[in-house]
Amino acid sequence: MAEPLLQIKNLEKVYPNGMRALKGVSFDVKPGEFLVVIGLSGSGKSTMLRCLNHLHDPTSGSIVFKNEDVTHLEGKKARDVRRRMAMIFQHFNLINRHTVLSNVLMGNLSRTNSLSSIMGMFSSEAKEKALGYLDLVGIREKAYVRADQLSGGQQQRVAIARALAQEPEILLADEPVASLDPATCHTVMDYLEKVNKELGITIICNLHFLSLVRRYATRVIALKEGNMVYDGDPKNIDEAWFEKIYGEGAREVHVN
Amino acid sequence: MWKARVFDAVGIAYLFLIALVVVFQPDDMAMLNLGRNTLLAILGVAIGFGFSFGFNGIGLKTLGEAIFEPPHKKALAEPIPWYKTFWGIQLATLFVVTCVAGVQVTQVSLYELTDPDGFRGAKKILMSLFNPEMSILPRGVLAIVETIFIAFMATVIAVPIAFVLSFLCAKNIMGGTPFGFGVYMFLRTVLNVTRSIEPLIWAIIFTVWVGIGPFAGMLGLMLHSIASLAKQYSEFIECVEDGPIEGITATGAGPLQVVWFAVVPQIVLPYISFTIYRWDINVRMATIIGLVGGGGIGTMLIQYQGQAMWPEVGTLALLIVIAVWAMDTASAYIREAIK
Repeated sequence: MAEPLLQIKNLEKVYPNGMRALKGVSFDVKPGEFLVVIGLSGSGKSTMLRCLNHLHDPTSGSIVFKNEDVTHLEGKKARDVRRRMAMIFQHFNLINRHTVLSNVLMGNLSRTNSLSSIMGMFSSEAKEKALGYLDLVGIREKAYVRADQLSGGQQQRVAIARALAQEPEILLADEPVASLDPATCHTVMDYLEKVNKELGITIICNLHFLSLVRRYATRVIALKEGNMVYDGDPKNIDEAWFEKIYGEGAREVHVN
Repeated sequence: MWKARVFDAVGIAYLFLIALVVVFQPDDMAMLNLGRNTLLAILGVAIGFGFSFGFNGIGLKTLGEAIFEPPHKKALAEPIPWYKTFWGIQLATLFVVTCVAGVQVTQVSLYELTDPDGFRGAKKILMSLFNPEMSILPRGVLAIVETIFIAFMATVIAVPIAFVLSFLCAKNIMGGTPFGFGVYMFLRTVLNVTRSIEPLIWAIIFTVWVGIGPFAGMLGLMLHSIASLAKQYSEFIECVEDGPIEGITATGAGPLQVVWFAVVPQIVLPYISFTIYRWDINVRMATIIGLVGGGGIGTMLIQYQGQAMWPEVGTLALLIVIAVWAMDTASAYIREAIK
């Protein structure tokens, strides 16, 4: 039994406006997992990912990352945890006016001092690696194109390359295919799977479509109104579980 | 709803004071009695509050309420033509009364406008302006070049200072911590005060400080440009998209790197556009600033105007028109092209 990579205990998040987004969520993440988080919009999935890498501060509970308590961090230490837990987003969050290569190089920011990064001085080694990551996601030929010239699926692949440039141990993916068309969904998910299997990077991914969950996840947890209601094998989510997670009358939509 | 109450109270106080003037026809002495008139104004506001609450009590929708009611209530309002509503009548009354008072205060007089003697004088000046005296053209050209350089230097020095200040004046950058918010409030106030003082006044202050000439004019314009640009720049920063900021923050980048990589690329184009526009504005202002000894063509213009040498003034006016038109057109084309 491998040692857990992440141990999350009783994680709670209350927003300043009083909204309780997470009401005590606990689970472990083992190295090499492709963990998918499902649940309705507003169930706390995005909040949970953002608590893990401290884009939001958790209110209470604890997060242990490789036997190190990382629940409340600030400044340099928080930035270091963010470097080790890369993140990709529903809307890609690339810098539109920069080239693809420049966007990937931004994955090195936490290890480059402010002044040289602002002067655009990244080591040639970093550039080589960045091109390598672009190769891995199959868009090396777009390296010198501006990011906003790319299609949605291509932009998400650049975002994956940027995340890899951080040399992370975990990749957080917040609805990575929710703003893509169904055909492109699988391409992006396939690259995530490749990252998971070939580079051994643990993935925690928020998803909407159950068909994608069954195809890619090695394990699923489900959130409902800030509580965890399911933790287990994706194949065991049957009709009854589906209704419990998504509510009565919900119907499954398939992505092919 | 206190905004609505204050609005109505002030409006009613205003009508009350005008009614007093109309009824009592006060002489100059009475108009200058500031102490008593202030008391009357306060009385007017008090009466205004009384009426405002009174109208509200009997369910009338006043103008203040129509303006300040929250959007979800506005959406529910029944579509009644404005002249059948209380607030509509209130608005019309305020407008008509202000127009009538305005005619009195600005001493609008058709008699003066059609007076043949006055008209002849104006015609003479206009004719002279259209017969420019070309012998001063070479000096005029040098002066307008000086004016353009005054505007250029004022803009160039103002831009980097305003660039740095704009981040410190942006609520989304500084609002996070109490200290940051304090800096934000302080700088906003200082810049608002600086901006509300006309460059003309700054130039007068600087002519005393550094002596009459282009340097004083440049300093006056620069100060005003810093305040205006910092305000405009910071407004762009306040409406940048959050996505890229989140994306760069998530890579583990430091605060300075987040600003440089996620915020700056989003604001570069509007910054350039507004900077060119500011230079354009500064050229126009620099001509005016010359009137108080800020150098350039304005200084020359005021000298000839003082001696009533209208053909020479005409030459200089022509030069100003050409320079401003050229700057205006060039800046419009450039701003359109880089959008």
